[in-house]
Amino acid sequence: MNEAQTILDDSLSRFFADSIDREYLTRLEEISWDDALWSRCIEQGLGLVLVSETQGGMGGSWLEAFIVARACGRYAVPLPIPEQILAGWLTETAGLAPRAGVAGILPEVIATAAVAGDRATFTAERVPWGRHAEHFIGLTTDSELVVLDRANTKAITEANLAREPRDKISFEATPILARAKVALPASGVRWLGALLRSAQIAGAATACLELSVKYTSEREQFGRALSQFQAIQQQLAELAGAMASVDTIAMAACLALDERGLASAGRDAKFEIASAKCRASEAVEPITRISHQVHGAIGFTYEYDLQFLTRRLWSWRAEFGANGEWGEYLGQVALQEGGDNLWRYLTA
Amino acid sequence: MLNLNSLRFPRFEFPADLAPLRAEVREFLAQELEHYSPLVRSYSWDGIDPEFSRKLGARGWVGMTLPKEYGGHGRSALERYVVVEEVLAAGAPVGYHWVADRQSGPMIARLGTEAQKQTILPAIARGEACFAIGMSEPNSGSDLASVKTRAERVADGWLVNGTKIWTTLAHRANYMIALLRTDSSSDSKHRGLSQFLIDLRAVKGISPRPIRDLTGRGHFNEVSFVDALLPPDALLGNEGEGWKQVMAELAFERSGPERYLSCFVLLTQLIDVLKGRASATALAKIGAEVAWAASLRNMSLSVAGMLNAGLDPSLQASVVKDLGCHFEQRLPGLAQELVALEPALAGSGVDYQQVLGNLIQLAPSFSLRGGTLEILRGIIARGLGVR
Ligand SMILES: Cc1cc2nc3c(=O)[nH]c(=O)nc-3n(C[C@H](O)[C@H](O)[C@H](O)COP(=O)(O)OP(=O)(O)OC[C@H]3O[C@@H](n4cnc5c(N)ncnc54)[C@H](O)[C@@H]3O)c2cc1C
Repeated sequence: MNEAQTILDDSLSRFFADSIDREYLTRLEEISWDDALWSRCIEQGLGLVLVSETQGGMGGSWLEAFIVARACGRYAVPLPIPEQILAGWLTETAGLAPRAGVAGILPEVIATAAVAGDRATFTAERVPWGRHAEHFIGLTTDSELVVLDRANTKAITEANLAREPRDKISFEATPILARAKVALPASGVRWLGALLRSAQIAGAATACLELSVKYTSEREQFGRALSQFQAIQQQLAELAGAMASVDTIAMAACLALDERGLASAGRDAKFEIASAKCRASEAVEPITRISHQVHGAIGFTYEYDLQFLTRRLWSWRAEFGANGEWGEYLGQVALQEGGDNLWRYLTA
Repeated sequence: MLNLNSLRFPRFEFPADLAPLRAEVREFLAQELEHYSPLVRSYSWDGIDPEFSRKLGARGWVGMTLPKEYGGHGRSALERYVVVEEVLAAGAPVGYHWVADRQSGPMIARLGTEAQKQTILPAIARGEACFAIGMSEPNSGSDLASVKTRAERVADGWLVNGTKIWTTLAHRANYMIALLRTDSSSDSKHRGLSQFLIDLRAVKGISPRPIRDLTGRGHFNEVSFVDALLPPDALLGNEGEGWKQVMAELAFERSGPERYLSCFVLLTQLIDVLKGRASATALAKIGAEVAWAASLRNMSLSVAGMLNAGLDPSLQASVVKDLGCHFEQRLPGLAQELVALEPALAGSGVDYQQVLGNLIQLAPSFSLRGGTLEILRGIIARGLGVR
């Protein structure tokens, strides 16, 4: 990270730490949306990290997107900022003008037939904050980006374990606001969503480690701080490793995406992205297990912060594909390349 | 207080001008190792082949960072990193010069007397010096500072009595760097220790007795010192500063790519064996290992980059070793879960079976040598501020 990126990271930490606490997260789980915080994030340009400056964005790279998404994970930000970043990037990559308002990202590929003509008719599952979206963005089987209105839509509200909205949206002859071919695989949203969730997992894992270190240093049993016990120290060490492993590969994937894109003829960023989400999803198990273990019963209560993180981690593990799915992709790549080429592949 | 920066691994991009070196090393290895079986390659940095070490030295790829005036090549730590990760990934037999190249050479360059540097560094750079590490003793393993082997100052040098154990290659090495007690009166066990550079051929009274490891091979030794008289200039560095020096030495052991590449041949063999017959679950599991390898390489590289920039990534290095060890030790078990072929001894079964048989047996040592996993995690805990 360069100096500007470090400053971004630090200022995000301060901003979210000041804005978000336990009471706030508790309230947001009930009301699911906070216009005030959303507006402040948008004013700071957090939704337009990847949009070029000429279009009014921050003109950042995927490394900046990583920094923002990781901070969102670390502070359990209950708003679709990573999704908004993705929407901005997709829109500009497709050559369309950026669109104001909350974007609903459609995780699954849209059948081309469902958006034939100027109206869309289909149902989209697990749309993050779908009920609050002012327009929707998705990719078709033909790699066409479509922007859909919110008129003529119905939302069936659902949520993930952290009570983040994951709604079922039915489009019923919904007007198509814009469309354009993009140079991305049809599953582009899944790849990029997986990348952003990996960054969020790295962030939430960071916060789990911070909480675990702080709590075990303060809590005393048998006349001394828990952190003085070797059994606890060893678990914290393992937790730190799991976090660092995810953090490193997620960042590497963002940089690979900046350098090689997602649809180059040669080696693109797919290997790194798949590695990031595979590692991140797999690491959720030790990260959540250890954090809870060292906290004892307090960590199992709704009144303590840890659960805001771990319930997100358990959900994000599966969102945009769990470790099994991404591992399978990587396994296929490895077998195709063959053992002798694995090292070349890793060092390319 | 937890300092997150000491747990972050900034991305490190190799300067493009290192690419030709990597290509050269690959070409050399492809030729040299053409007839090496996968089993032989799976010994990695445990594989002993003085001839190979000499050839690598002739190419200028041993003692790369040592100063030119002592036969070294004055090259950067990054250039050395490229060579080391290439030889390890290929499973080249680097064991003969490994310790000299990784830690003894740099230590002598930093702490040695002019005479020590002039006699020994050139041999190291030629790949001809084999070093043993004399730290552990029968009653001093993890509690290394409790070592008792004594070096007593006498008129014509130092008189050494005691026993070292688990000393890898002491029966073949030219030199040993030993941690010895020079002052027993000190109330702190960490004080009163000094390091000595011992010419194993020249000094009498040192007898290595090979100890067979569980694979049946004899790589490590019990080394007894009976009135062994070291010359006065055998002292390495400063008297009484042995503990500090040894801690710096062990940091070399933690920071390299060998910490995740000692099972790499098994991973590549497993991939080839699975080809054409992998279930979705098998693909997912092998893919997860590949993701581990990708993550570890990025982390290892980052540590190399930080060292190169003059930073102190000691916590990050310990984290990589811990994760690398976990990755390596799990692999043989995973292989047996995915493929029905039994592990085999040399001479029976297919290559994959022999490699598996070898690494199943070697794997327990990965979390022992150079300091155990428990001790390593204690170091990490200290870095986290809880110790
Ligand atoms: C293949 C191999 C090569 C080696 N080569 C060399 C060499 O060249 N030179 C050399 O000097 N040494 C060498 N060693 C020795 C190695 O450094 C020691 O094995 C290691 O430091 C552990 O010491 P120990 O075996 O006496 O185990 P112990 O220290 O007795 O430990 C046994 C177990 O108890 C645990 N333990 C010990 N203390 C604690 C504690 N305070 N808290 C929690 N757990 C603890 C350990 O982690 C371990 O799990 C080699 C070892 C192996 C296996």
